[in-house]
Amino acid sequence: MKLKRVAALLLALILGFTLFISGCGRNAAPPQNQKGFDAVVSAAKGTTVNFYSWGGDEKINKWIDTVLAKNVKDNYGITLKRIPMDDTQTAITKLMDEKQSGVDKGSIDMLWVNGENFYTAKENGLFYGPFTAELPNFQKYIDQDSDDIKYDFGVTVDGMEAPYAKAQFVFINDSSVTPETPKNAQELLEYAKKYKGKVTYPAPPDFTGSVFVRQIIYDVVGYDKVNAAGTDKEKIKAAIQPAMDYLKELKPYLWKEGKTYPASSGQLDNMFADGEVVMDMNYDPNTVAAMIDKGTVKDTARDFIFDKGMIGNTSFLAIPANAPNKEGAMAVINAILTPELQASKYDPSNWGALPVLDNNKLSDSEKQLFDKIPLGKGVIPQSTLLSKRQPELPASVVPIIEEIWQSEIPNK
Amino acid sequence: MNRLKADKSAFVPTKTGKKRHRLSRALICLSYFLVLFPLLILFVWSFTGRWSWPHLLPETFSARALGELFGGYSGAVQVLLSSILLSTAVALIAIAVSVPAARAIVLTAFWGKDFLKFIVLLPVIVPATAFAMGVHMLFIRVGLSDTVVGVILIHIILCLPYTVRIMSEVTAATGDRLEAQARVLGASPKKTLISITFPLAMPGIISAFCMAFIVSFSQYFVTLLIGGGTVTTYAMFMFPYIQSGDRTIAAAYSLLFVLSTLLVFIVLERRIKKYYNIEDVFFFS
Repeated sequence: MKLKRVAALLLALILGFTLFISGCGRNAAPPQNQKGFDAVVSAAKGTTVNFYSWGGDEKINKWIDTVLAKNVKDNYGITLKRIPMDDTQTAITKLMDEKQSGVDKGSIDMLWVNGENFYTAKENGLFYGPFTAELPNFQKYIDQDSDDIKYDFGVTVDGMEAPYAKAQFVFINDSSVTPETPKNAQELLEYAKKYKGKVTYPAPPDFTGSVFVRQIIYDVVGYDKVNAAGTDKEKIKAAIQPAMDYLKELKPYLWKEGKTYPASSGQLDNMFADGEVVMDMNYDPNTVAAMIDKGTVKDTARDFIFDKGMIGNTSFLAIPANAPNKEGAMAVINAILTPELQASKYDPSNWGALPVLDNNKLSDSEKQLFDKIPLGKGVIPQSTLLSKRQPELPASVVPIIEEIWQSEIPNK
Repeated sequence: MNRLKADKSAFVPTKTGKKRHRLSRALICLSYFLVLFPLLILFVWSFTGRWSWPHLLPETFSARALGELFGGYSGAVQVLLSSILLSTAVALIAIAVSVPAARAIVLTAFWGKDFLKFIVLLPVIVPATAFAMGVHMLFIRVGLSDTVVGVILIHIILCLPYTVRIMSEVTAATGDRLEAQARVLGASPKKTLISITFPLAMPGIISAFCMAFIVSFSQYFVTLLIGGGTVTTYAMFMFPYIQSGDRTIAAAYSLLFVLSTLLVFIVLERRIKKYYNIEDVFFFS
């Protein structure tokens, strides 16, 4: 009897709680901002902007805390507060929870995001916008027809996020250790045979390991063929089979005979710094300069790329639909799109991120800001990188390729 | 054979005693080594530029971790201080809740006692991420999300399994007989609490405080999820560096993490010893 009563009580409690939860949810539509940008700036004055940003790089953090924060304080009277994350997904989780509970005033004003996280956020209506058309500097300096601005991992941006920095995948090795720089997948295989056990890549779904697999697919199969396969797993699998065969052929020459892989890009960077492997790779071409600058690798380390080109992406800044200070975030994003800040961000002694502005839209004095910045040690010039730039695959295809890699490569 | 050996040793007890003494000293040295050596490595890494195989010592040194921690621009020191304050508050409240809860669980009988004991342990049984998301949804509803109070509450919930457990063991060991005796001899309830209950529970309270402090001080994910931008903690600064594999910066952050925790514990113990005038109990110093 007693047990039954307890069970009934529990059930009633659970039911009640569920009803309570589902009853509370309501959808907050993003308010349309009709005000001109001057009104945005005056509303933003004296406010604080909470900027959720990946916090794993000392230089990037320092640039935000010193250069960017000072700039927006001086120009707009805004206090920029950086909230460090180890994974942008945490912020997306938070926004999803808030959306489900109908919170129309959250705590995130501005978010550094791209790829799958943007795809999830856009699908679920987590972001505010479109807002980029309202930013004067977006109108003035950005080539709005370029694919790098229009698409984020194959997803149309539609003004829901503003470009922050460009990145491009590169390989890294040390000329004093290995003079060769493989120019295609075939040469990479020869390289791995020569330096047996000293080449590897991070295991997907690590961001860098995942782009390495796509880079191999591009080189062996070609971007057009994979992209034409759509989002069907079987079709993708058939299309990328030659690349999977290549990775199987490569496997026995890898570190630990390819039976295990570094779990993260950071681990591979450390293995390269320690001399445990002879080759590193990164989605940021300036990483090598940063590593030389930090002193973790010798100054003979340098980038190298495949002849056919390397995958590039753009990372963006978005404003959540429930951001408490949308005006402040817009003002900060507008500031980030100035030639001064893009040039300062491009400076390898600050960060070294590739700028997102259209060179043709810059005045001569603005162009000089970029021209006078020295190229980071070991880094391939921006013009060479951009001429060899390949687009990313759609964000929904990326996890499918990761799955195929997982089932085809490590355990076979 | 064994017997013969045993007999022989019985005749020369001093020698065996010495041997035992040596063994225990070796064990003590080994445990010191096991604790201090990793700390030493952290210290060296904090100032290392490049340290590749097969070099026994770092090849180059770098002061960039010093700049990151104490350069002023990252705000690491202010965040460290506010984190210590936050975790101290969490630990104190967790103890204030745990001491009476433990007494109730151990000393009284009530309906649903086993169920309550189980509920208290839930935060460590349920996977942390799922638990945090559930709490987040609830906190949003009751308006505790993105507030300092919300962060303190979720930290307390995560501390309770440890503090209630520790206090229960201590309460079970001491019982309430001495208190009863004091009351029989005419002490007021207040006097009993101050002179009997607290001093008896103090070793447990100190252990529970330390445990709660560490649990709270190292929370990263829930602080970010529940606190939003309103609360930034030292762990939130530290974890991205550990995750991204920047060993120099991560080592410096970790070292400061360990040292500041230790400092809090030592200060706490000194104060308590002074207050209760006890010299013969050693926790940290």
